[in-house]
Order: sequence, then C-alpha cells, then structure tokens
Amino acid sequence: MERLIEIKKLTKIYPGVRALDDVSFTINKGEVHALVGENGAGKSTLIKILAGVITPDEGEILIDDKVESFSHPLEALQKGIAVTFQDLSLFPNLSVAENISISRKIEEGDMVLDWSEMKRIARKAIDELGVKLDINKKLGYLSIGNQQLVAIARALVHDAKLLILDEPTASLAKEDINALFRVVNLLKKRGMSILFVSHKLDEIFEISDRISVLRDGKYIGTYPKEEITEDELISYMVGRKVRYTRYDKRKRQEPLLEVKNLSKKNNFKDISFTLNRGEILGITGLVGAGRTEVAQAIFGNNVPDSGEIYLEGKRINNDSTSKALKTGIAYVPESRQTQGLVLGKSLADNITVTILDRITNGLNLLDKRLKTGIVREWIDKLNIKPAYPDMQIDQFSGGNQQKAVIAKWLAYNPKVLIVDEPTQGIDIGAKSEIHKLLRDLAEEGMGIIVISSELPEVLAICDRILVMRRGRIAGEFTGDDVTQEELLNKAITKAG
Amino acid sequence: MKSIFKKKEMGILSIVILISILITLKNSVFLTPGNLLDILKNNTVPGIVALGMLLVIITGGIDVSVGAMVAAVTVIVGTFMVNFGGNLLLAFLVGCLSGIILGVINGFFIARMKIPAIVVTLGTMSIFNGTILYFTNGSWITNIPEWFINFGRIRLIGIPIQVFFWLGAALLTFFILKYTRIGRGIYAIGGNPEAATRAGFKKDKLIIFIWAYLGFLVGLAAVVHTSIVRQVDPNAFLGFELTVIAAVVLGGANIMGGEGSVFGTFLGVIMLAVINNGLILAWIPTFWQQIIVGVIILIAVSIDVIQNKRRERAMAKIDVEE
Ligand SMILES: Nc1ncnc2c1ncn2[C@@H]1O[C@H](COP(=O)(O)OP(=O)(O)OP(=O)(O)O)[C@@H](O)[C@H]1O
Ligand SMILES: [Mg+2]
Repeated sequence: MERLIEIKKLTKIYPGVRALDDVSFTINKGEVHALVGENGAGKSTLIKILAGVITPDEGEILIDDKVESFSHPLEALQKGIAVTFQDLSLFPNLSVAENISISRKIEEGDMVLDWSEMKRIARKAIDELGVKLDINKKLGYLSIGNQQLVAIARALVHDAKLLILDEPTASLAKEDINALFRVVNLLKKRGMSILFVSHKLDEIFEISDRISVLRDGKYIGTYPKEEITEDELISYMVGRKVRYTRYDKRKRQEPLLEVKNLSKKNNFKDISFTLNRGEILGITGLVGAGRTEVAQAIFGNNVPDSGEIYLEGKRINNDSTSKALKTGIAYVPESRQTQGLVLGKSLADNITVTILDRITNGLNLLDKRLKTGIVREWIDKLNIKPAYPDMQIDQFSGGNQQKAVIAKWLAYNPKVLIVDEPTQGIDIGAKSEIHKLLRDLAEEGMGIIVISSELPEVLAICDRILVMRRGRIAGEFTGDDVTQEELLNKAITKAG
Repeated sequence: MKSIFKKKEMGILSIVILISILITLKNSVFLTPGNLLDILKNNTVPGIVALGMLLVIITGGIDVSVGAMVAAVTVIVGTFMVNFGGNLLLAFLVGCLSGIILGVINGFFIARMKIPAIVVTLGTMSIFNGTILYFTNGSWITNIPEWFINFGRIRLIGIPIQVFFWLGAALLTFFILKYTRIGRGIYAIGGNPEAATRAGFKKDKLIIFIWAYLGFLVGLAAVVHTSIVRQVDPNAFLGFELTVIAAVVLGGANIMGGEGSVFGTFLGVIMLAVINNGLILAWIPTFWQQIIVGVIILIAVSIDVIQNKRRERAMAKIDVEE
C-alpha cells in the first residue's frame, strides 16, 4: 500500500496536559483508518493539527513524502485535507447550501460568488449522501442530526485526498449512518483516504481497514481490523478490561410520574405511561420516532395539545422549562455541545449553574468551600479528565464536555431525570461508570427516563423499556430476557 | 434565510407606512414630494454611515466612535478645502482616505490586539474628539469654497445629488454582502467566528477590511454632510453614533451578530427619520421623539427575541401513525 500521510513524532502540550505525546503513524492511500481512544486521549487534537487549526509543539506531517506545515486551515484544505469537526463548526445563521459550499468556494479562490453554482454544489453533496434536506433552510433550524449531515456534506465537496470525520455519527439515525458508510466506501474505492473517529466499536469494525489507538496522548499502535478483537481493542484503549454490565431488572410499584393520553399534532399521539420511584424507564425507537418530543413535552418545552401529566399524584401543567425544574423535572438534552454549556466559563461554574442557590450562604454569597467540594465529587464520579475545576470548559475534549453537562443535571438532583442519549460521544470506560451512576441514583429513589438509540445500553440499565414508533408507543418490555431483535422489530414493523 | 429577512423587513416597512399614515392625518405636508425628498437628503449622512455600521454589527462588533470620526473628517476636509482649494475629486479623496485611516486604526486594535470593539471605539472616540478640540478650539469653518457649495446644490432629475451617494453606497454594500466572499465571511464570523477560520476565511484581514470600509463610508458621509450644511461644526456629531446604531438595530440586524440586511438598515434609518420629521410637523415636543424612538427599539427587539424563541421551540414534524 502506498502511504499518503505520515505523522511523525507529533507533540502538543497544553498547560497541565500532554494532549499528544510523540505520536507517529501513517495513513495509506485508499484506506479507512479509524482513530480510537478514551475521551481526552488526543484524537481531536491530532485532527486539528492535520486541519491546520492548531500547530504542533514538536513533530511534523508529511503528505506524499513532503513535509507540510499549515499556518491556517485554508492551507490544509488546499493540500487536500477536508474535515468534519467534532463540534461541527457550522454557521447557524446561514443556509444549508451556503454552509456546505462556502469553504469550497474559498478554497477555489473565488472573490465573487455565484449563488446558483453554490446551490448546485450543495445539492450534489446532499444527493451523494442520499439524504433529504432542504438546502434553502437556515441551518440553525435543523435538528442536531441533520446539522451533522450538513457538516459531512461540506467535507465531501472538497475533492480531498484525506477526509477526516471526527465522530460523524454521534447524532445520526441508523439509516443516515448507513448512507454515510456507503459514501465512505465509494470514496475509498476512488482512492481517497478516510480518517474516522468514533466511540462506537461496531462502527469501527464495520467500516475501517486499520485501527490506530491513542491513550493519554500516547500512540499505542495500529492494527489491521482482521487481526484484533473488540476486547483487545478496548484493553488497548483503556489499559484494562471493561465489562458491559447488564443490571438486574427491578420491580418498582410506587408511581412517581404519570403521563396520560398525551397528544400533539405532528409530534406524538396517545402517549400513556407511568414512571415509578426508583425506576429506570427506557424509551427507545428510531431517531425521529417522537421520543425527544415527548420528553420535551414533559419538560415544558413543547406544550401538548391534550393529555395530562401527574407528578406524585398531583396534576402538573408545565408550559415552561423553569416551571418544570421547579416541580423537580430535569432534562439533559441530546445536543449537549450546543445547548448545555456556558462557553468561556470554568468546568466548576458549568457544573454548579443549576445549584447556585444551594451553594450560597445566608448572605447570598458563594460558599467557595461547598462549591469546590461538590465539583470535586462530580469530577470524581464521572471521571472528568483532566480533573481541573478551574479550566475553561471549551478546553476540555468533546466527551468530557458532555460529562460536564450530565454532571450539572445530576448535581441538581431532581425527582425525575430525563436523559436524552446519555452516553453519546462518551468512551466505553466512562460509559459503564455513567450507567452505574444512574443505577445508584435510581436506587436512592430518583425516577429516570433514559432515551437511547443504543439498544445494548437500554437493555443493560433499564428496568422497563418502551419502544416508540412514528409518534406512538409501540410496545412495552419488562423482564430479563428481552433481546435486541425484539426491540428492533417493534421499532420498525407495524404493531400486530 | 432569505424569506426570514424578507419577513422581518416587511414588518419594518409596515411600521414605517403606519407611522406615515398617522402623520399625514395630522399634517398633510408630510406626504408632499418636497418634504419626502428633504427627509431623504437630510438623512443621507446617518444613512451612509449606518451601512458601514451594519457590517460591523453583523460581525458582532459595534462602533461608538463614528460620530467623532465623521466630525474629524469634516474638519480635515473643510480645512483642506479652505487652505488648499483643490477640486471635488480631491475633496472626496481626502475625505475617504482620512476616514479609511481612522477606521483601520480601530480595526487594527480589534483584529490584531483582540480587544473588544466597544472598548477600542470608546477609546478612539475620546481620542478623536480630543484631537479635534485641540486643533479647532471648537470653532466653525464657514468659508467653504463656492465650487463646493455649488456642487451641493446640484439636483439630478429633481433629486438632490446627496441622495445618489446614499443610493450608490447602499448598492455597493448590498453587492459586497450578498455576492462577495468578503461579505459572506462577515456573516460567517457573526455566526461562528471559530468556524469561519476553519472554513478558510482569513478572519483578521476580514475584520480590518470591515473597519476600513466603515471608515471609507464615514469619509464619504463627512464630505456629503459638508455639501449639505456648507460649513463645518466640530460639535455637530455629538450623539450621532447612537442614532446610527439605533437605525441598524431597528432595521432588523442582530446586535449579537450574524444577521442584518442593507434594505432593513435603510428602512431603519427611514423609520427614525419619519418619526423625527413627523413629530416636528405634528408640533410635538422633541423629547417625545426620543422617548418614542426608545420605545420602538425596545418593542422591535423584544418581538425579535420572542419570535426566535418560538422558532427554537418548534419541534420537528413527525408523521404520526394513525
Ligand atoms: N485549547 C485547549 N486548552 C487546554 N487543553 C486542551 C485544549 N484543547 C484540548 N485540550 C486537552 O487536550 C486533551 C486531548 O483532547 P482531545 O479533544 O484531543 O480529546 P479527544 O480524544 O478528541 O476526546 P473526545 O473523545 O472526548 O472527543 C484533553 O485533555 C483536553 O482537555
Ligand atoms: Mg474529540
């Protein structure tokens, strides 16, 4: 195999962390090269260096055996490196078409823009992906999943040598992931190289040819897919064995939250279920089945047309999120990176924004000691890395930012906690820790609703599982012997 | 994106029309061509500067030094004409060049030193004002040459020449914003500055360009202003920046950056002008004018915020199984 990129002894140091520590490996022409590692291992840092967003402290990059160093992302683009960033890096105020085509126009050096050509470029990319998107719509109005598709489409329009995808599938529906993989395979056949980052190992094994592992900024090794098992890969990533615990199903009888005949036009219909105290209720189904919409309705962010909600036997009427929070219902949104963080503030500030009233003393002044204590506790529980409470939230890796959002809502300690895709973008080790944490919270009496497309996760931690399809509850599962196939069948086929 | 801007602008337009009707009911002089042309002519200066301010506000910045800048350029151009004579072209050249220089000073500190625009322009406003005072002692320049005064009296097809400068500046700005890489970069920076760099925009250069362009328009406006009032009063522009910013915001630009249009900004200027003119024609004391403008700004911005919230809430449409 001919090599395209050679990464040589790359080192990047941030105050307190070696994000990359003497990393070297090569990417061949026409291969799909996966890059894996825990949250904070240095994957995105490496990608940002390849993209010209940051410069390394030491080491170099060779493209086609020539040393290249980029002082601006445009130079990387011109050298044939196109990237879908983990934080998407899109423009919410611009149209889908412009988001997709603008950087290609810059790369080509056009000073005056031809809108009809830009739209053509965008439409072609969308068609190539095989998805449906209105290219005239403003990006900010798209769901997070569709925004991710736009970010991917934008990278496709650069006739690149190396396509880098940093967790492109985090918020994608299954059929969109399949569409993406079809395109990736097509591009690979045309000789393009693809660097692919994901925390979902099944995807890694499905799409990649070789897999490189990073751990704590250090390069562990590169392995052809056929020569490594999933368990081995995990142990290289985390340095130990991780078991995906399947917890026992518990029977809870004391109703906490009751939802009765909730309906909303074009959203969901006849939704009725009960969440008991100390129970974890899973809601699964395909993306777009109406799960998030129901959750938003309970959280007061999506007022239903009809139906009733009862909390501890009392009817509640939440038409705003602040009301919902007061009644003791919290919701951890799916698009945490855009919705859940106060950028520019420290990790500690972000974790404690929901509980400011609890960490102030009689004079309404902040109790520093109390705050530090609580923050320490959550950093510990969720294994947030690096464990620096005062570091700006922007400087944490994507996965660790997500942990911070989860910590914030767990710290709030609501009666009912709704988490939307709780472990999206979170590495395997941390995932099992979050699972354990949710179980512990339920044990203490919290009622938890877990919305997740990841069936193994739902099966592992939930006491009861609801499956939604096209705005309705299609089935309910209890007991220890439910299988993924059963859930999937309910999610797809028509109720019998 | 387009349809939303359109909707917003239609809203502003209907308010302008509504106000006009109310005023006309009170005093029919308002709707005469003479009065309307006067309104246009007398608002050319804030109108031109607002176009530059629009660009700055779209990037998420703000410029409170424009009043001081216009004043400075009128003094420079006035002094130049009185002492060296010259011709029309030279007057404009001197005006625009000095405007550009002042703009680039602002831009340098904002782009290169990464100091927030409001801080930089607060500083330069004070410096510009102080410098003007040092050189002029606050005295007026009244002996503007005849050839320049004559230029200011020109009408083309019955329309004062100044209005054409506004029109030209508006068309140029529209073209830049809509059809050039620079223009799209301005929106991109306003929407997501880090992403703008990653998409390939050279952010620092772009920002310096924007401030230079604002300076250019300030220079143009200063010369046009002199051609209207035929004298230079170094204190004529106290509070001018507030009028300009208010017009841009009324015109639908988002003060947080990312949104705004030339047509909207034009309507914002006109709205302020019509209120101003109408209240005078209706013999309403001027303090009312300020209160009314303030109320309208608050209402307009609140409506905008509420609408944005609604849109955010709007959920995806799901094809519910029946
Ligand atoms: N701007 C920054 N300032 C300080 N530290 C940073 C900065 N950017 C990244 N880091 C640190 O560098 C390390 C590597 O981060 P990186 O984003 O590369 O991780 P990652 O492998 O992509 O993780 P994830 O799976 O969570 O996305 C982390 O410890 C992170 O906190
Ligand atoms: Mg990352």
